[in-house]
Amino acid sequence: MANNDEFYLRYYVGHKGKFGHEFLEFEFSQDGKLRYANNSEYKNDTMIRKECFVSPAVLGELKRIVEDSEIMKEDDNLWPAADRVGKQELEIVCGDDHISFTTSKIGSMNDVNDSKDPEGLRTFYYLVQDLKCFVISLIGLHFKIKPIS
Amino acid sequence: MSTDDALDLTAPAGFEPGMDEGEDLRATLNKRQAGEEAEIAPGAPQRSVEGWIVIVTNVHEEAQDDDIYDKFTEFGKIKNLHLNLDRRTGYVKGYALVEYEQQEEAARAVSEGTGQEVLGQEVTVNWAFVRGNKGGRGRGGRFR
Repeated sequence: MANNDEFYLRYYVGHKGKFGHEFLEFEFSQDGKLRYANNSEYKNDTMIRKECFVSPAVLGELKRIVEDSEIMKEDDNLWPAADRVGKQELEIVCGDDHISFTTSKIGSMNDVNDSKDPEGLRTFYYLVQDLKCFVISLIGLHFKIKPIS
Repeated sequence: MSTDDALDLTAPAGFEPGMDEGEDLRATLNKRQAGEEAEIAPGAPQRSVEGWIVIVTNVHEEAQDDDIYDKFTEFGKIKNLHLNLDRRTGYVKGYALVEYEQQEEAARAVSEGTGQEVLGQEVTVNWAFVRGNKGGRGRGGRFR
């Protein structure tokens, strides 16, 4: 890790369809602010927006998960482009590295294996699941809501 | 692998820390609960809706709910425990989130839990949520 300990992470997944703009998004800032938004208009479900501050320990764990995944070495050039089914965005600043990836939704491992960059997409696929899992636990415990994903 | 169902107690009809409007109430409640200690300083522990959450890190990948539960129940009654798995390997990701009802219990977990061994591996324990720096805004992204 470089001396520069800058850190920022944002993930978005969503699509625009019959039930409006349905999406899940979360963002961690350097100062620990965690922003979370989850919108589904299905059956008149409403938008959930939550904000809280996580400790440096939580940020540190997040950073460890990012670094272990080696996502910062990947490139989204060959990944499937966002389409009508949906879009995912992952933006991470980690030290001197900055990535900003955009791709379609990934339904299953088949989509990953059939892609032009299965290894890179696999890294992305599993990292996103680990991140979602972490955030949903944090938000769920802190606010006592059961987020949908 | 969450013991949510087993451990989740019914919530008292409490307040919900929303975005901002809950701040005063929360501060008052925290003060009451923490006694003189409650300084409204950024970085101080932040209460969650039903209790106090700590994060345990460097958890052995083969740890089970019971390993964490047995270790951490000695600091107080555990209301919730999340020991999430690595989606690729199926092993423990490396962290656990533990919820206590009382701040003192969580504080003990933080001060006495760190350095304890779980499956021979020393864990570190910290508060998961802290008071924010009001007005302090991090690097702005494209958050919707």
